[in-house]
Amino acid sequence: MIKIENLKASIEDKEILKGIDLEIPKGEIHVIMGRNGSGKSTLANVIAGNETYEVDGGSIAMNGNDITEMSIENRALQGLFLCFQYPVAIPGVSMAYFLRAALNAKNKHDGKEEMDAVKFLATAKKILSDLGLDDSFLKRSINDGFSGGEKKKSEILQLLMLNPQLAVLDETDSGLDVDALRTVAKGVNEFKNDNNSVLIITHYQRLLEYIKPDVVHIMIDGKIVKSGDMTLVHEVEKNGYSWLMK
Amino acid sequence: MLKKIQKHSHARFEQLGYPSKKLENWKFSSSKHLKKYDSTNSGKDISIDRYGDEYTLCFVNGQIALESLNKFIYKDDMNILDIDELNNETTCSTSSNFEKEALFHLGLSTIKSGKYFEFKEGSKFDTPIQILNFYSKETEALRISSFNIFKLNSGNNISIVEKDLNEGSGSFNLSLNKFICGDDAILNHSILYDDNTESNYLGYNYYELGRNVLLNIDSMNINSTFNKNFIEVDLNKEGSEVKINILNLARNQQHLDNNILMNHNAEHCISFQNVRNILDDQATCVFNGKVVVADGAQKTDSNQSNKNLLLSRNATAHSNPQLEIYADDVKCGHGSTTGALDKDSIFYLRARGIKESDANNILVKAFAKEILQEFVNDDIRNLSEGNLSDWIDG
Repeated sequence: MIKIENLKASIEDKEILKGIDLEIPKGEIHVIMGRNGSGKSTLANVIAGNETYEVDGGSIAMNGNDITEMSIENRALQGLFLCFQYPVAIPGVSMAYFLRAALNAKNKHDGKEEMDAVKFLATAKKILSDLGLDDSFLKRSINDGFSGGEKKKSEILQLLMLNPQLAVLDETDSGLDVDALRTVAKGVNEFKNDNNSVLIITHYQRLLEYIKPDVVHIMIDGKIVKSGDMTLVHEVEKNGYSWLMK
Repeated sequence: MLKKIQKHSHARFEQLGYPSKKLENWKFSSSKHLKKYDSTNSGKDISIDRYGDEYTLCFVNGQIALESLNKFIYKDDMNILDIDELNNETTCSTSSNFEKEALFHLGLSTIKSGKYFEFKEGSKFDTPIQILNFYSKETEALRISSFNIFKLNSGNNISIVEKDLNEGSGSFNLSLNKFICGDDAILNHSILYDDNTESNYLGYNYYELGRNVLLNIDSMNINSTFNKNFIEVDLNKEGSEVKINILNLARNQQHLDNNILMNHNAEHCISFQNVRNILDDQATCVFNGKVVVADGAQKTDSNQSNKNLLLSRNATAHSNPQLEIYADDVKCGHGSTTGALDKDSIFYLRARGIKESDANNILVKAFAKEILQEFVNDDIRNLSEGNLSDWIDG
């Protein structure tokens, strides 16, 4: 699904990613854990094409196609979805308008017809109900005045509507209470199937009680220093990251 | 009466001359190019049949078209007089600040006639009144001045929609209006400037409010070459509320300029000024907004907001929100922001597969719509939204 080789990236001449190698096959859930400032969110943003960051070397390929130099929107149209850690508020643009614009862009790219309003509403309402959100959510401006939980649920709504091939969840669990965390995890599990992949970026173990990863990676100082299974999560939970820095 | 006013204004203009950049209100807008418009002879007799219905008052080159007045549906619910017929000087007087404006006097001294429209107490005016200012220019240097007074009596609920229609070569349109709002009156004044000729527009609108008046001023300005507006409101008695929502769109070398003075002279009044400018290319805009809370105008609640969106590095916005408070129990706020489109918002939209140009357009529309959604007149709001889309599409 996605293959990252020796990826190096910086922001304002500060080197953050120092050679990332990561491959996530179709049908797998991977997790990246690491301390604050280790470069996890930078990796998520660089994968999504955020132009604030400079790619200094290496490559990112999706389904065999090099997307390292591809525009942000084309990556999304190729099936990449970034679940934002801090979704921006955009007053004056309704969720419904935004979702339809995104869906239409995707359908157009895929050579499909635009989704009609009736089908759009039916699909959105079903997902909203699953996420415990009211239909009026669609009339609200994007993330404007949303609570922390609503913002994250909004990201999951978009994930389920757009149904990408690879979802990168950048600390989607941060700032959520237990109920919201369960709802978000349920959404991710609903999304997941044998034909797509998920990359979860997190600080904590708690999301992993609900979403079971296939592979766990530990990132320290811009590099993946160790990969393993869930036992690695428990070791980090018990001993912290210091032992991995040696 | 008119001759007396004009004599005074002529003398004032002679004394003041064309405004220079030394004056606060003209610091960022030159009046030099307006000097060439020195002809007031509009000549041509125009038929306005195709331009209005029975709810429209049509003004041709600053003067009311009698055929529109004759078929005006509300004419029996109003007293309509020539300003010359008024014998009360106070009715014609405007603000002391306009008194300092040279071009206000230039306009007043050169009007050919003006009308006084008084809405009768108890009459119903359910459908908005459209005022169509039709400008037809035969000469390059035409300056057209107009002066009208509107008086709302107690309890009147009036919606006025003002539009300009320009034909021919560019001109200098100098529009002066006074609105007197009696106690408990409601006035919704919507103004749409969508002129695409090379015209210059200078407007002076003065509003004098009684007790418990509700005044909404909605304005959208698009395509004007030079458009400078003065709005002054006197809240003279308690309980009144004023909302001003203005959206200006400019590109190329257009210059759009809003000067608002809100005088809180009485207790328990509310005012909101909300002005947004979207500028592309080398366009410039000015916001001079001032709220003066007089001594004793306690419990005043006032807010000024000016937001400017620059779509080009060469566009310039001048913003000058001011507060002058002489009372001690008031709530007054003001704020001004100027900047480009938010990069994080663009990234967010693009990360969902939306093209960069579409993402930019969505954000421009959203910025503008926050003003448009406040417009009280549905037709003007819909028309403005259409204009906005056309403007964005270039």
